[in-house]
Amino acid sequence: MHALLEVKDVTKSYFENGKEFKVLDLVRFDLAERDFVCVVGPSGCGKSTLLRIIVGLDKPTSGAVLFEGEPIRADNPQVAMVFQSFALFPWLTVQQNVEIGLEAKGTPPEERHRIARKFIDAVGLTGFEDAFPRELSGGMKQRVGIARALAIEPLLLCMDEPFSSLDPLTAQNLRDEILQLWANPDLPPKAVLMVTHAIEEAVYLADRVIVLSSRPGRMIAELQIDLPRPRNRKEPEFYGWVDEIYSLIV
Amino acid sequence: MRGLRRWLRYVAGVLILAGLVVAIAFPQAALNAIQLPLFAVFSTTRMVVAYLLSLVFAIAYGHTAATNKRAAVVLLPVLDVLQSIPILGFFPAALVFFVATFHGHPIGIELAVVFLIFTSMSWNMAFGVYESLTTIPQDLEAAAASFGLRGWLRFRHLAFPAAIPKLVYNSILSWTNGWFFLVASEIFTAGGTEFKRPGLGAFIAVAGRNGDAASIAIGIGVLAAVVLTLDIFLWRPLSAYSERFRMETVTGREIPRVPSPYERFRWLPRLPRLRQWTLARLQPVAARSHRMSLQFERAYSGHPKVIKEVRRIDLALFLIVFVLVVSTGLIGLAQMFLRPLPLSAALLPTAAFLSFSRLLLAYGIALAWTIPVAAFIGESERASRYLTPAFELFGSLPATALLPVIVGFALLVTASFGDAAQLAAVLIALFSMQWYLLFNLIAGVRSIPDDLKEAARSFGLRGRAYWRRLLLPAIAPSLLTGSITAWGAGWNALIVSEYTQYANRPFEVPGLGSLLNHAVFDPVPDSEMLLLTILTMIVVVLAMNKLLWRPLFRRASQRFRLEV
Repeated sequence: MHALLEVKDVTKSYFENGKEFKVLDLVRFDLAERDFVCVVGPSGCGKSTLLRIIVGLDKPTSGAVLFEGEPIRADNPQVAMVFQSFALFPWLTVQQNVEIGLEAKGTPPEERHRIARKFIDAVGLTGFEDAFPRELSGGMKQRVGIARALAIEPLLLCMDEPFSSLDPLTAQNLRDEILQLWANPDLPPKAVLMVTHAIEEAVYLADRVIVLSSRPGRMIAELQIDLPRPRNRKEPEFYGWVDEIYSLIV
Repeated sequence: MRGLRRWLRYVAGVLILAGLVVAIAFPQAALNAIQLPLFAVFSTTRMVVAYLLSLVFAIAYGHTAATNKRAAVVLLPVLDVLQSIPILGFFPAALVFFVATFHGHPIGIELAVVFLIFTSMSWNMAFGVYESLTTIPQDLEAAAASFGLRGWLRFRHLAFPAAIPKLVYNSILSWTNGWFFLVASEIFTAGGTEFKRPGLGAFIAVAGRNGDAASIAIGIGVLAAVVLTLDIFLWRPLSAYSERFRMETVTGREIPRVPSPYERFRWLPRLPRLRQWTLARLQPVAARSHRMSLQFERAYSGHPKVIKEVRRIDLALFLIVFVLVVSTGLIGLAQMFLRPLPLSAALLPTAAFLSFSRLLLAYGIALAWTIPVAAFIGESERASRYLTPAFELFGSLPATALLPVIVGFALLVTASFGDAAQLAAVLIALFSMQWYLLFNLIAGVRSIPDDLKEAARSFGLRGRAYWRRLLLPAIAPSLLTGSITAWGAGWNALIVSEYTQYANRPFEVPGLGSLLNHAVFDPVPDSEMLLLTILTMIVVVLAMNKLLWRPLFRRASQRFRLEV
């Protein structure tokens, strides 16, 4: 029995004028079903590169990423991605944006429509189906991004700094909504992998936090956050975790 | 908005009145003009055919260059050269080729005309597509890839929509360019034979040759009406629509958007009933195209192998054609230079210098008036509202159509034939060049962020200091873009500006353009001189682009870019 996702000794280097710049060094971890994992690290530690490699958009210099025991492919419909910059198609409506992955899968139009509606409702955007992204606020755009990812009913949801371009209040609301969606076992995904530089955010959301060092990104620690949910940012235990991770990075 | 509509109504009224007056005062000319609507249809049809060809070409070429790295190595330099060489110089050669192929049948001339317009339209559109595709935000590319958009679906949902803003913008430029060449090409003499196809351009040219002022006026009026109608009912709505496909910036601060003149025309397609009716009619078609595109996707992109094969065949075909064309060209060149050069080749350096000086003079005049006017229009909302439409009206008239008017004017001013020819040559160059400068400069002035202007004012920058410290540096990039395009147009105008006929008299000044004309028009055409002159022109133009404009542009866009 394989884990859902296996990241096996992933190393990534860029070469410039014959010189090697190592970005990631022997990163190794597994993801099982019902895992919510956050990767944290200082800016420029290669965490976004790691995520791109994990979803198959980039190739590792050495090492491998296995999804359900098979090498990962970028267009794997079992893996969906949420982007920091939202990456919505500006010329498609909310409905069309959410349907895009289903269309690529070849889902018939009526079913596509139904599924998209369901997830637009789930992220609270009912009534905005025909709006264009530019007419939405940042928080609403990221909701579309999340609905689009969930709509293909992925096993694994990958998020690349999904809340960093939002204002703090919107970001906190969206975090709580993600947790609500996650708490509903009827909804996809089976596991979440999120990359962030905000330590508090990682402790607030994740079951497990993977800490990367600054460049080249090496795994410093893998911590099991055993705080009960809902978590309270004001509790000393919460702060204990945040401080511990902070001291690991600095 | 209301003011504009009223303005348009006035223009229409004046035009109708002018038409009536002309019809009463010059019955003979009015009789000639009865055919004009038909001529207008002919000319527009040629433009549309050439445009559709250019569109297909631009998308295929730009898309291949942007997605196929190996092909791009060849495609980009080729495009770069083709874009900067004066096309009109090739027209006689193309004409001879097409006419010979179709044994003098009119279809050959039609094809030559369409081919010429095509070559004037397609390069910048292809570059637009290439630029748009290479500047798609990385995250959007990643999203498309991770949600499984490949092949046809990727093109339909990502590549094509992303290219629309630049494609529409360049289409408008190309369309204006197209008129210039259409007018120049509908009537042509090569090797002592006159080739003529019925159309607006031929009508104006014939009127000019006969010195028939009334017919000239009517012809230009009808041309202006056609150009404006298409502009208002096709290009402006399209341009407003293309705004929807613009990429957004995610960073908190919005980059100040240049309000395009086209936005003011947003009211035009607002005819609710007509829109509903068309939408209802189009719905089944759209649905069917959607289904077909899905079927196509399944048949084509479902298999990565098919994509790979298609790519390979695509590249192979391209390379075969490319090698064939280049090698025949090289062999021809080698053959020509192996023989001794004709005596008249000694004229080439002087001719090149004279042509260049004339263009430089025209460029200087254009700079002298466009910079202050652009600063005025760009800074004042009122001036912009009233002056921009007027300039757009003049700017959309191809200089080739104004030819008879310009020569007539030069005659009137100088009252002597020799000077009139010189003046006319400079004026025609000026009319071909100035609008590119003006419109680019206006856009440049408008793109200065209000914050920066206010900061300048609050620190007391006024008068010369304001120009030196803010305005001139800020418009430097658009000044260079405008200059490059203007010079391109100027070189193209040489062949019409240095040799014209007016009132049955030839107007000629020495230069590359007139050498080109002689090589083609003379009863015994001199194909060797034709080739040598074109080569000289290409060498001069490419040298200027590589040694002057490119380095300047690179420096300007680094130093004077308005980053937010």
